Amino acid sequence: MRRRALTNRFELLDVFLLVVLTLWMLIIAIPFINVIVVSFTTQKEYLETPLLLFPKSPTLDSYRALIKDGRIWGGYRTTLTIVGLGVPLNLFLTTSMAYALSRRYFPGKKILFTLILFTMLFNGGIIPLYLVVKKLNLTNKIWSVVFSYGINTFYMIIMMNYFKTLPESLMESARLDGAGEWTILFRIVLPLSAPIIATITLFYSVDRWNEWFYAMIFIRDKGMAPLQLVLRSIVMDAAVLDAASSTVDVGETAFTNGIKMAAVLATMLPIMCVFPFLQKHFAKGVMIGAIKA
Amino acid sequence: MERSDGKTSIKSRLKNLGREIWRHRAIYALLIPGLVWYFVFCYIPMGGLSLAFKQYKANLGIWASPWVGFANYKHVFRDTAFWASIRRTLIINAGRLLFCFPFPVLLSLMINELRVGKYKKVMQTVFTFPHFLSWVIVASIITNVLSYDGLVNSILNLLGVGTVNFLGNQRFFQPLLYISEIWKASGWSAIVYMAAISGIDVEQYEAAEIDGATRLQRIIHITLPSIMPTIVVMFILATGNIMTAGFDQVFNLSNAAVKAVSETLDMYIYRVTFQSVTDFSFSMAVSLFKSVINMVLLFLADRGAKLMGGSGLFG
Repeated sequence: MRRRALTNRFELLDVFLLVVLTLWMLIIAIPFINVIVVSFTTQKEYLETPLLLFPKSPTLDSYRALIKDGRIWGGYRTTLTIVGLGVPLNLFLTTSMAYALSRRYFPGKKILFTLILFTMLFNGGIIPLYLVVKKLNLTNKIWSVVFSYGINTFYMIIMMNYFKTLPESLMESARLDGAGEWTILFRIVLPLSAPIIATITLFYSVDRWNEWFYAMIFIRDKGMAPLQLVLRSIVMDAAVLDAASSTVDVGETAFTNGIKMAAVLATMLPIMCVFPFLQKHFAKGVMIGAIKA
Repeated sequence: MERSDGKTSIKSRLKNLGREIWRHRAIYALLIPGLVWYFVFCYIPMGGLSLAFKQYKANLGIWASPWVGFANYKHVFRDTAFWASIRRTLIINAGRLLFCFPFPVLLSLMINELRVGKYKKVMQTVFTFPHFLSWVIVASIITNVLSYDGLVNSILNLLGVGTVNFLGNQRFFQPLLYISEIWKASGWSAIVYMAAISGIDVEQYEAAEIDGATRLQRIIHITLPSIMPTIVVMFILATGNIMTAGFDQVFNLSNAAVKAVSETLDMYIYRVTFQSVTDFSFSMAVSLFKSVINMVLLFLADRGAKLMGGSGLFG
């Protein structure tokens, strides 16, 4: 915008930038388009077309096979449960903590804050966490994944910094009117913090949607695998199937690569649909963090 | 303060402290849920690391298992795979700093100079999107494009180059890590630099314009120096992660064919913990070793970033 005020000529540099950035956009977009294309292609066409850009005879066979396989539903169920239970827990723990730490003074604030920051520098890793989860009798339960990721300290600090920018006088006058800290948090601070809460909610939701590592370690029951692990197993199984199909008859096996890509699309579709509309809010989180920095 | 008042003043100070704590009791109530979580899921596991100096006995549990001093480390340090994994981790992360780090900077400079408004927004949405997908998904997408009958090999075949085994070739594994990271993360990482660029004073550009500076000169002499502090801070923070970084990526992109070159320290820890006969004490010893070195590096990085005028690790 401001540069347009300076020069209006469309120079060689502009052409160069436009070409380079468009190329980069294609490099990012084409693998996604290819996923979609392959998932709608028949095996025959996939094998016979040297350069597959668009299916001539689109088919839903891969999706039919994916649904018939059935694992994807279990994955959706588990992942939605994790998101539904996990994100509210994340928000409850993170906002209450961030608000308390945004208060200017209370005895012990410094030491508590240092102890919290220390967890960013040092952690026990997965094995001791696994032993704790086991001790709490949470293994093989959704709760193991829900509870293991409670507060992301980075997000908590971003939120705390935002709370600090709110005018102290508002809270002071509420306090004089006899409002307690929980009331102030819910009635005054949270309504004023809608943008940051939206951003942090998005971050937590994406993290929960993408959850796979804790689930892989804590939940051994295959029927309870979240979507990401279902995708992983479909991709791996398909690799095994692939090896088998090359020695047997190609025509008889299901089109493994098509099923894989159908599963990929099913796993990322929600993020893909929501992202373009919310991209602004995602970026805001980093901006707030960066400006504070 | 007079000596004779010492005793009473301690007493009254304690009383004051008690009164202060009581006055702020609502804040402690707010803190309790979060603190309980930190205690159970961060601090108890840290205590569990004491297993590194014990011989784990399943029937006795973490706390009652007998102490064995540094005996576990004798075994760890004797394992050549351990040293190889450290070497590999350092090499891969040096590669990341060299190849992946400059990319977001370049991207932010280019996006900033682009003068087509709406199109720019579409582009940025596309650039940042892959960051929000898990490595499970991204690895599946990359495998699809790079497989034998995938898109890239189709193009290479049409060009007469022939089929290349991208995923199973040990020599390609490191470049694959770098390229896939650039593909996934650089659009998102660029946002930090874009924020820094948006903070530059417009008057500088106007003055340069009047002096007859070309746009390229303005980028090199105004924009780049202005965001240099941010670049330096980001670089220092990246070096703090040189012992970790990228388990998700390496785990999902590796396969049996590249096993020999994909075992980073994290992968090594994963293997000795979950894939062989589990010896918790041994893997805990490796974990602790990694965590301590990592802490020192992060601490130094944080100090370094602060010295450079940045905010360091903690915002």
